[in-house]
Amino acid sequence: MERGSTLLKNQPYDESLEVNDPEDVTSVYSPAPSGHTQSESRRSRRGRGLMSANSNADQSEDDHKPLKGGEAAGREPRVSPQQEEEEEEEEEEESDEEEDDSEDDEDDDDDASGAPEGAYDPADYANLPVSSDIKELFKYITRYTPQTVELEHSLKPFIPDFIPAVGDIDAFLKVPRPDGKEDSLGLLVLDEPSVKQSEPTVLSLWLSEESKQHGAPEMKKVTSVASPQSNPRLVDGWVDSISALHRSKPPASVQYGRAMPDIDSLMQEWPAELEELLGRLTLPPARLQCGAAQYADIICGLLDIPVHGSRIQSLHLLFSLYLEFRDSQHFTRRT
Amino acid sequence: MNLSRSKPALGSVSEKKKKNQTKISRLEEYLQQRDYLGALTLLEFQRSIGEVEEHADLWIGYCAFHLGDYKKAMEVYKSLTMNPDCPAEVWVYLACVLFFLGLYKEAEEAASKAPMSPLQNRLLFHLAHKFNDEKKLMNFHQNLEDVFEDQLSLASIHYMRSHYQEAIDIYKRLLLHERDFLALKVYVALCYYKLDYYDVSQEVLAVYLQRVPDSTIALNLKACNHFRLYNGKAAEAELKNLIDISSCSFEFAKELIRHNLVVFRGGEGALQVLPPLIDVIPEARLNLVIYYLRQDDVQEAYNLIQDLVPTTPQEYILKGVVNAALGQDIGSRDHLKVAQQFFQLVGGSASECDTIPGRQCMAACFFLLRKFDDVLIYLNSVKSYFANDDTFNFNYAQAKAALGNYKQAEEIFLLIQNEKIKNDYVYLSWLARCYIMNQKGQLAWELYLKMGTSSDSFSLLQLIANDCYKMGQFYYAAKAFDALEKLDPGSNYWEGKKGACVGVFQLILANKEPKETLKEVVPMLRHSGNSQVEYIIRILRKWAKDNRVHII
Repeated sequence: MERGSTLLKNQPYDESLEVNDPEDVTSVYSPAPSGHTQSESRRSRRGRGLMSANSNADQSEDDHKPLKGGEAAGREPRVSPQQEEEEEEEEEEESDEEEDDSEDDEDDDDDASGAPEGAYDPADYANLPVSSDIKELFKYITRYTPQTVELEHSLKPFIPDFIPAVGDIDAFLKVPRPDGKEDSLGLLVLDEPSVKQSEPTVLSLWLSEESKQHGAPEMKKVTSVASPQSNPRLVDGWVDSISALHRSKPPASVQYGRAMPDIDSLMQEWPAELEELLGRLTLPPARLQCGAAQYADIICGLLDIPVHGSRIQSLHLLFSLYLEFRDSQHFTRRT
Repeated sequence: MNLSRSKPALGSVSEKKKKNQTKISRLEEYLQQRDYLGALTLLEFQRSIGEVEEHADLWIGYCAFHLGDYKKAMEVYKSLTMNPDCPAEVWVYLACVLFFLGLYKEAEEAASKAPMSPLQNRLLFHLAHKFNDEKKLMNFHQNLEDVFEDQLSLASIHYMRSHYQEAIDIYKRLLLHERDFLALKVYVALCYYKLDYYDVSQEVLAVYLQRVPDSTIALNLKACNHFRLYNGKAAEAELKNLIDISSCSFEFAKELIRHNLVVFRGGEGALQVLPPLIDVIPEARLNLVIYYLRQDDVQEAYNLIQDLVPTTPQEYILKGVVNAALGQDIGSRDHLKVAQQFFQLVGGSASECDTIPGRQCMAACFFLLRKFDDVLIYLNSVKSYFANDDTFNFNYAQAKAALGNYKQAEEIFLLIQNEKIKNDYVYLSWLARCYIMNQKGQLAWELYLKMGTSSDSFSLLQLIANDCYKMGQFYYAAKAFDALEKLDPGSNYWEGKKGACVGVFQLILANKEPKETLKEVVPMLRHSGNSQVEYIIRILRKWAKDNRVHII
C-alpha cells in the first residue's frame, strides 16, 4: 500500500461535499436503519456512507457502480472485501492484511489487534553474546506479561453553529381586501409591511390639524420612550416629526392694536451720520442703571418702534425684527 | 410617506421638504405604500370624528393582519362575529388570524363555521399539517386547484416539510408564466438557503432586492446568506442597514432581527434576548441550547430541549448532541442510546447524509458505538472543513489511536489548543499511549510528571508501566513500576518491575541504552526487598565490574 493509492481513497469524500450543483443535492438513500439488528445496520450504513460519500465521484469512476447499485436496489447489508478489492474497503476492514506494512500513509487505520509495530520481541536479543547466567536472567523479561490497559474514549459532540431565522414562506392564508380588489400581496411584492410606517401619534396630530378637529383624538394616546438615553434615534425621530408638524402650521400672527411700521421699513439703513456715530459709541448695554421697562423704551426708541401704552405689542415687533435679522441670509453671511 | 422617520443618512434635505408639503393621503395611498400603521391611524381617526368608511371594521382587520398585529386583528374579527348580521366569510378571516397566533384548535373551529372557499381549504390544509394529520392533509390537498394561491400554498407546505426541491419546482413553473411575480424569487431564494446553496440564494434574491431594496424579509435573508457565506460581521452589517432604514414605529420582524443579531454576534446577549422569544421564533430555543452547550452548561441545555419533539434535522442533531454530552457526563446509557439513535436518523436521512452536519452525526453515532473504522470514514470525508477545530481533532485523534494509527493520532492530539481538553484524562492517557507506541516513552513520562497526584495520575502510571513494557521501553516501564510500588505498597508490582529492570539490562547489552542507566536500576531493585533482588544484583554487579561501570 503506497501513498498514491491512499490519496485516491480520500478524494471522493472531500469532493462530494464541494459540489455545489443544486441538481445534485440528494444522494441515493436507503431508509433509516432503525429496524435492523445492530451488526446488520452497521454494515448497511457503512455501505451507504461510502456510497453516498462517493456519489459524485461515481460519475467518473465506473468501478464504484456495482456497490451503489446493490445498495440502492436490494439494500444489501454486506459488502464483502473479496467482492470489492478497492481502496476504501481496506480502510474499513480492520483485519485486512495487506496494510500491515504501510508506514507513512495517511489513512492507515487498521490493525488494532495483534502486536503493535515496534513491540518488544525477545527474539531480537536471542543472539546477544552473554553468559548463561545472564541468559537465565533474561527469562524474567518474558515471565511478566504486560497488562492491556483499556483506555476510555470520550466523544466531544460537535456543537452546531448558531442558527439564524429566515421565517416561513407565504402560505397564502391571508385576509383579502374588503372591497374585493386584488392586492397582489405575496405575488408582485412580499406580503410584509413597508419599513417606513407612519408614527400613529404624529399622524393623528396631522390629521386633526388638517381637519381642524382639535382636542378629542390627539389626547387619546400619550406615547413615551422607555429609555431615551439608549434610544436617541427614537427621540430624535419624534422631535423631528413634531417640529415638522409645527413648521407646517402658519406662523402665529398678531393683530396690533395701533398702526405699527412694517418690518421692512424698520430694517432700512440708518442715516449715514448715525452709522458713523455708532462706529465710535457703544449702544446702551442691558446693565444700564434703569428698570427693564425703561430700558425697553430706550431700545424701542433707538429702533424706531413706537410704544403705545402697554409695551407688549412693541416688544413683539422688536423681537420679530430681531428674528428677521437673525434669519436673514444677507446678515448672517456678513458676520 | 412617512412622518416619523428620523434623519436618514442621505438626502435628508429633500426628505424634509417633502415632509413639509405632505398632504394627508387617503387610505388607498397608505395601502399602496404598505404603510398599514398609517392606514390604521387614518381609519381610526375617521371613525373618531364620525366620518366612516364603508366596511371600516373589515379594513381595520385587513390592515392589522397585514401589519402582523394579529392580536388586534383577532379582536376586530371576534367582535364582528358577535354581530348577528356578520358576513359568514369573516369566520375564515378570524381562522387565519388564529392560525398565525398559533391557536390551531381555535383556528380549526372558526374555519369550520366559514362557508367553503379556496381560502378555507388552504387553511384547513395547513392546519392538517400542523396537526400532523396525514389523512386530512391528503384530502385538502386534493381540493387544491391549479391557481396561484393554491399552488403557492402547497409550495409553502413543501418548504415546511423540508421538501425544498418540490417547492422550487412549483415556483419556477409559476414564474415561467408570470414573470412579474417577483415575490416568488424570494421564496425560491429561501428554498436555496435551506438547501445550503447560499450563493445561488443570493443571486435569486438580488432580483427582488433590485426592485424592492428595503424589503425586510429579503434583507434578513441576505444577512443570513452572508452569515453562512462569510461571517457574523458581514451579516450584522446587512441587518444594521435594515435597522437604519426602518422607521421607529416599524414593529414587523423586530423580534426576528433581535434574534438574528444574537446569532450573528456569536451568542452575545443570548440570555437577555432569547428566553422571551422561545415560543415566538422556533430557532430561539435551539440557539439558547447551543449557547448553553458552548458555556459547558449541559444540564441547562438539557432542561431546555428535553421536552422538544424534534421535527427538523437541526432539532434532531441538537437533541443528539445534548444527550451525548449529558450521557457521558453522568454516565447514563439511556441518554447515550437516544443520542446515538438521533445521530443515526439524521446522518442516514436523504436530506442530511451529504451535509457536513450529517456526516458529523454519523461519525458521532459510530463513535458512541465504538466502531472507529466507521467513525474515520465519516470524519475523513469532512476533515478539510475542520482544520483547526479542537473538538473535531479530539474525536479524530481518538479514532485514529483506537485503530492503532498512533503516529497520526499523536500529530492530531498535539494540534489541540483547548486547555480544558488538554487537561482531560482521556486526552492525556491517549496521548501517552501514542507517545509510547511511537517509542517516545520519555514524553509519556513527562506527561505523568506534570500531573498532580490523583487517581488519574495513578492510572497513567499503570498505562506507562505496561505499555512501555509491551513496547520494550523498559527504562520508563521500570520507573513507572517503581513509582507504583511506592504509591501502592499493598499491591504486587514486583514481577513487572523485575522484568523491566532486567529489560533495561538487556537493552544495555544490546547497546540500545547507555551503560550508566544501570546506576539507576540497582537502587530501584534494592528498594523492593524481594528475595530475588540479591541474585539479580549479583549478576548485574559482575557484569558492571567486567565492563567498568561503577555501581553502588
